[in-house]
Amino acid sequence: MREGVYLEKMAEFAALLRHEGLTVGLRETEDMCKILSELDLADRGTVYAVLSSLCAKSREEQAVFRRAFDGFFVSVEQRQALRARHEAEARELAQRRMEAERDLQAGGNPIPLREDLQEVYVRMGEDKREQLRQMLEKTRGNLERNPKLYGNFIRSVFMRFLLEQQMAMEDAAVGSESLDPDLALLYRDISQFRETDIPRAAALVSAIARQLDAELSRARRGGGHSGKLDFKRTIRRGLETGGTFYRLSYRPRRQKRRRLVLLCDVSGSMLQFSEFALRFLKSMSEVSESSKTFLFSEELCRVNPFALQNMDAFRDYVRSSGLYGRGTDLGKALEDLCAQRPGVLGPSVTLLILSDTKTIDVPRAARALLEARRQAGKVLWLNPIPQRKWPYVRSIQTMSMLCQMAACSTLEELSSTCRRILQG
Amino acid sequence: MDISTLKQKLDAQGYVCDEALAATLLVALKLGRPLLIEGAAGVGKTEIAKVMAAALDRPLLRLQCYEGLDESKALYEWNYQKQLLSIQVQMDRTGPDALTKSLFSDAYLLERPLLQSIRSEVPTVLLIDEIDKADEEFEAFLLEILSEMQVSIPEVGVLRAKTIPFVVLTSNRARPLSEALRRRCAYLYIPYPDLDKEVAILRSKLPNVNEHLAVQVAQAVHDLRENEGILKKPSIAETIDWVSALEALGISDLTEDARERTLGFVLKSREDMEASGHCGACGHDGP
Repeated sequence: MREGVYLEKMAEFAALLRHEGLTVGLRETEDMCKILSELDLADRGTVYAVLSSLCAKSREEQAVFRRAFDGFFVSVEQRQALRARHEAEARELAQRRMEAERDLQAGGNPIPLREDLQEVYVRMGEDKREQLRQMLEKTRGNLERNPKLYGNFIRSVFMRFLLEQQMAMEDAAVGSESLDPDLALLYRDISQFRETDIPRAAALVSAIARQLDAELSRARRGGGHSGKLDFKRTIRRGLETGGTFYRLSYRPRRQKRRRLVLLCDVSGSMLQFSEFALRFLKSMSEVSESSKTFLFSEELCRVNPFALQNMDAFRDYVRSSGLYGRGTDLGKALEDLCAQRPGVLGPSVTLLILSDTKTIDVPRAARALLEARRQAGKVLWLNPIPQRKWPYVRSIQTMSMLCQMAACSTLEELSSTCRRILQG
Repeated sequence: MDISTLKQKLDAQGYVCDEALAATLLVALKLGRPLLIEGAAGVGKTEIAKVMAAALDRPLLRLQCYEGLDESKALYEWNYQKQLLSIQVQMDRTGPDALTKSLFSDAYLLERPLLQSIRSEVPTVLLIDEIDKADEEFEAFLLEILSEMQVSIPEVGVLRAKTIPFVVLTSNRARPLSEALRRRCAYLYIPYPDLDKEVAILRSKLPNVNEHLAVQVAQAVHDLRENEGILKKPSIAETIDWVSALEALGISDLTEDARERTLGFVLKSREDMEASGHCGACGHDGP
């Protein structure tokens, strides 16, 4: 009956794990109680190993589990220290909020800012707050002369500064808590990669691309048979054994045929992302012999399939094409694509667009996208901008209304989107 | 059985493991849950099933997965040719109903590893090796046997396990496995061993190994694994091969020259060899 001792605690822990996104059901909770009561474990590391094997079913889940475990199973001393730290942090925050109330004033009136932005001001570093204080001090004279005009100006400067800080804080939080460096890289925004991360990220991408290659070749080969008898062949082979069907023949599996057209943005705003996306493109271009790849910035350029065989040669090819690092004209690229003769788009074609939607002449691009959607069976947009930032970018809102858009800001998102496409 | 007993038994089989690993194995054993083991190639995933079979004194049944593996190769198959011959021989002697019934009996059933494991009178260790190489359809087919420990054969009905096998599934993560399969298993990820553990493994597998050489090789292999330019990281088996090769050549100190001459035992491609660079753990050549 010792299972009862653990039941309440394990149920709480299971709830925490579910909150963190792990699939932990009643069976797992029951197993945890059963095993803890049976084995009488004393060592913390062993308890961790046992519980994680029952609740975390992949390497990624183990990283989440580790955080939850460390937060949940703490000694009395650690709990007291944690509580003291939280109380000190709460006191400091209260103090900062009072200071913020005093700072966020222009001409004696509070600057009208959203609550979340006020909170950003409270939590950002002292150096950043000092910058805003100095700016306020410099404009004090002007503000007294024309409070309405300068009041609006100060508000817009504050808003922009605080929004930038908010994004920086969000970027810093993503993936930073992961224990495994490879996993952290997998979940970090590609545009936030540091120079030192690039070789490790490239190795990671190569590994994922190899994995995709293996999946693709498996899908292409389609091992085994369909399970349906091939009567003609069976009867014909049966004649060899006097009409007795000793050897049965089966129909081969029908292979799915997909046609992909890839349109990849290699303009200035896509430099970092393109480097990684192109590596995935190599895998994607092997989906079927009928896939075609186009690159664009201000012009459209069809990629020579031989250049896709080797990644380094492909990168050189892109650089020498003159497209790399220029501005973006998606509208023109799509118009040129639709006007290709013989046509590259058709009802059985999936058009994949890799771009951040930052283009000149958005209305033209939207019209061209509608035409491409009419010609192609399906249009899917892979966007390197994190989904949480989409509401701030107007062109994304326009384009996402016209076609299906998937966020590919991290290597993990990029690979899982590729996999989804391949699975049809 | 408790953790330390299992650990002792694994040690006796020459498998170096810590208490946490032994605890995970014991949990899977006690709960009757299949154990899914992931990790890079050559870290000892398959070896776990072998040593567990030896430690628990159970027969080991192995199912090697590959593309196109289906239930006729994994579960059972009717001996079709034998059935046909039987029909021709017995057609005039036996009534049609009795003949039909006899055709779907144990005499014509070819048991494959999955069926063998659940029909065995003594508990077995069932190794389903490299499940990531099998098709997704096969993975779905495994769900019934892994969760209910039973299989359905249309001509016979449902066969329940006489004894619960200890099931070990291994995967190199060549493709992601389904959530349904993962949920039915206990999970273990085996990373590459740290330096101390690798030296302990060398001592266990090569009892007469030169201690200085073992440490040098373990450090050199550790450095190679850290090298991001090397695509195929050396496995534990390759470390053992390397030490064996060095000892066979009468080398007791891993110098840069000795390393160059024997590097082919750990790195198996020209690109990896070129990326390997110099060895920090190696001794100096000559005076």
